[in-house]
Amino acid sequence: MSAGGSDGTADRPADLAAEGECPEQAGSSLPAVEVPRKRKGDVEERSGTHGQHSVDFQKDDDRSRSEGEDQQVKMKCFREPHRQIEKRRRDKMNTLIDELAAMIPACQPMARKLDKLTVLRKAVQHLKALKAGTGSAFTDTTFKPSILSHDDLKHLLLRAVDGFLLVVSCDRAKILFISESVSKILNLSRLELTGQSLFDFIHPKDINKVKEQLSSSEYPRQCLIDAATGVQVQVDAPARPPLLSTGARRSFFCRLKHSRVAGKQDKHFLPCTSKKKDTSRYCTLHCTGYMRSCPSSQLDSEGDSEMESSDLSCLVTVCRLLTPMSHQPPKELTIRPSEFVTRWAIDGKFTFVEQQATTVIGYLPQEVLGTSCYEYFHQDDLLHLADKHRQVLRSKEKIETRCYKFKTKYGSYVSLQSQWFSFTNPWTKEVEFIVSSNQVISGPGHTKDEEAGNSKALQEDTKQIPIIPSLSSGLGTMIYAGSIGTQIANELMDSYSRMNSSPSSRACSPFGPTQEKCPQVSPQTSTSASSREEASGSSSQSQCDSRTAAGTSSATSESLAAVSRININPIQGEPSQLDLDLVPGLSSFSSDEAAMAVIMSLLETDVNMGQSEDFEDLHWPF
Amino acid sequence: MTANKEKRRVISRDAARRRRQVESEVFVDLSRLLPFQQSVQDHLDKPSVIRLTLSYIRMHTLLKGKTGIKVEASHAVKCGQVMESGQEWRGCDRGRDDEEKKTDNVEASEETNMFLRILEGFLMVLSTEGDMIYLSDNVSKYMGLTQTELMGHNIFEYTHPCDHEEIRNNLRLTAEEVWCGAKRDFIMRIKGALTHRGRSSNLKSATWKVLHCQGRAKVCVAPSSVSCLLLTCQPLPLSHTLLSTHTFTSQHSMDMRFTYCDQRMTLLLGYSTEELLGRSIYDLCHILDTNCLTKNHLNLCFKSQSVSGQYRMLVRGGGYVWVESHSAVIPSVRPSKSRPGAHQPLCILCVTYVLSGVEEPSLQLSLDQAVHRYLR
Repeated sequence: MSAGGSDGTADRPADLAAEGECPEQAGSSLPAVEVPRKRKGDVEERSGTHGQHSVDFQKDDDRSRSEGEDQQVKMKCFREPHRQIEKRRRDKMNTLIDELAAMIPACQPMARKLDKLTVLRKAVQHLKALKAGTGSAFTDTTFKPSILSHDDLKHLLLRAVDGFLLVVSCDRAKILFISESVSKILNLSRLELTGQSLFDFIHPKDINKVKEQLSSSEYPRQCLIDAATGVQVQVDAPARPPLLSTGARRSFFCRLKHSRVAGKQDKHFLPCTSKKKDTSRYCTLHCTGYMRSCPSSQLDSEGDSEMESSDLSCLVTVCRLLTPMSHQPPKELTIRPSEFVTRWAIDGKFTFVEQQATTVIGYLPQEVLGTSCYEYFHQDDLLHLADKHRQVLRSKEKIETRCYKFKTKYGSYVSLQSQWFSFTNPWTKEVEFIVSSNQVISGPGHTKDEEAGNSKALQEDTKQIPIIPSLSSGLGTMIYAGSIGTQIANELMDSYSRMNSSPSSRACSPFGPTQEKCPQVSPQTSTSASSREEASGSSSQSQCDSRTAAGTSSATSESLAAVSRININPIQGEPSQLDLDLVPGLSSFSSDEAAMAVIMSLLETDVNMGQSEDFEDLHWPF
Repeated sequence: MTANKEKRRVISRDAARRRRQVESEVFVDLSRLLPFQQSVQDHLDKPSVIRLTLSYIRMHTLLKGKTGIKVEASHAVKCGQVMESGQEWRGCDRGRDDEEKKTDNVEASEETNMFLRILEGFLMVLSTEGDMIYLSDNVSKYMGLTQTELMGHNIFEYTHPCDHEEIRNNLRLTAEEVWCGAKRDFIMRIKGALTHRGRSSNLKSATWKVLHCQGRAKVCVAPSSVSCLLLTCQPLPLSHTLLSTHTFTSQHSMDMRFTYCDQRMTLLLGYSTEELLGRSIYDLCHILDTNCLTKNHLNLCFKSQSVSGQYRMLVRGGGYVWVESHSAVIPSVRPSKSRPGAHQPLCILCVTYVLSGVEEPSLQLSLDQAVHRYLR
């Protein structure tokens, strides 16, 4: 608990912050960084009357009243804001009282609104009744009083964390302690596990990994990362650092056996692999924790007498079941043979082909990878698909094609319909690739005769395609087809370089002057943009930078709404609307202070990790 | 006439003062009933007293009805019986005297304390409106503000405005989620009043702290009870962790193109460093995981740190492995004291854990996996 003095006073500023203390900002939607201001006389009042609690409250009210009365004395420019502040305080208090009344059963059935004093009195009665009802948290006076009893806290923790506490000895991975919640995760009881070797329950392929993590001083080299530079630091000597327990932290993933209980929680386990010989199922857990020495006298009942007084090196971890993310496709995908997903580079060349594609198009993925999709499109469809291709590169929306024919390995055509979506890099905002989600419409149809007829039609069509000025039929068809894609891609690249080189690019940034939404983020200035260009060597880098400079520092909430709405249909494998257009440039990171803030927050975090003194007073729960 | 008026004014002022005095006394009574140490109770102002009373009542309502069953079930396990979770074991609790209960309480508290310490995070219970109904008392270690300062306040007052939409979406419960466990996993920026040495400062010098929040929604159907979100909030550490051989680190420019990767990447995935430089990570991963990577990338851009969740990285030569990446934006040049104001170019540092073995090793899905690549 922090010193008592800080609680009350800090509460005040927080309340003020909630109300919005800056008169100038009264009109704005949300004060950015709420810098609370302590009310004059606060600190002195509190420290002066330490024991007289009721007098404190009294003095509060008196002071505020007298201040109200002194309004006439104050300058006019203070009057309005002050009244506003007072009003807000009163409103806040009234809101709180109303909320309190809503939570107290005794206040519920009243027809008319109760006055403040009555609500407070009923609250006192209610709390007394609650305290009488539970016994656990308050009967034991040696215990630090707390809002929740330990059992309740434990219960809530376990609901939040699908995990358990695990302590294993480092030498033989003997499970020294495991919390009861393990039964919820692995369907194995605590009793079954305690005293066993952890290796009996780990997936065979993860055993070496865990062994590594358990080794401490035997392991001569520790690979740590220096947060400031990202460089791996090899520490050769067994580390006994003075302040921070550098190297004592462990973080790893491993698969543990779990026994199947019919109909129980299976959907939470991911990813599970069932090995061919071993019919056990495994679930993946993230284990984080620290190496500690724990007194062995309490533990090893069967231990050697020489070892009784020595400390055992052990690993204390929290093992947490991995969250299946909402946009994660479940491992057991229902594969629909008539649908598959492919990825192309912007020029239409296949860079990724799902295995299901083979059942539709006949080719194995490696047979089409690197080739242009235009080589498989029927000539009749070239115009329409080229048009769609151009469209998708410039649109943030999914583009749906009409039904078209795709040439299979066997020469026949299959009718497909696809949704295309161009993926834009969130940072550079350039299109990186196109995702194509394809469905079969009907079986393979066209015969070779029809193909011959179609090539004639193509000759007429080509006059309408301005991109290829001349056409050579027959032999040149293949080359022609592939180059459509390249041409379209080049158009896009040209448009990018035009955008970059234009000095007016900043002016026509799509983000506009919406900075006021997040005013604490430092706005992009042209000077830092140019210095950025100087700092980075290559021209393409500076082009990217100037484009991000064009975006202002506004971060609209819609983009994050898009992020949270991301879900992927696991069956069709198509990404849903991913509105990245509203992603702003990251000009917040281009300012020095913000970069320093990033570093500082990382260092802060690390300071809190592995502080050895934290564990000294911990009682071992066994 | 004025004398009368003046007299009446004095009388009404005195009456008001008396009313206020009575009110203050009730506030004192209320604060004494709150489960905090007296030194803390004495320094609570009126809104805080109500705030904390509300939290207290809400937490009790939340746990009402659940507590009895859970406690009994845990006793049952201790009695040597393995019970299906959720079943009640009525017999065991009787005949247990206060001493035993006290020992259990001690054990529970030690275990919980250790759990929270090792988890390196704090527990937060959020109402559907975003009120932080409960925070475990170790919150001060991570936010620099104490439990009593924060409890009952609304989370939107303490988090980055640009994260509010995402938080709101997470607070919303759809009907189907009610029955399906409703897990939550997101990253948010919250105000932290800690100095870089780890000591508490005040809100005036608050900086943004990145927290990884994981948990689930808890739905209560009892009347006058609350639905809420139970979350553990953890800062994302980067250093001081021993990396195993199934882990590799990589560095990327802000557009997620590789600028460096360590040798273990080659051992695990088969790509050489030269092959990867300048390549985008999106090219290396399964197409269905694009969204996962995008969300990760966006988190990095906005919040500077991210945990990716599980996705598939394609292995050179065929197949893929499931991985999870923990990443952060760091300066690519070490900040030096001599040039503190100098511009810091940024890059992304990823620590990627390989979760599985190579799956479907014969499957070649992407161009990069091909042994003979003819494009680059």
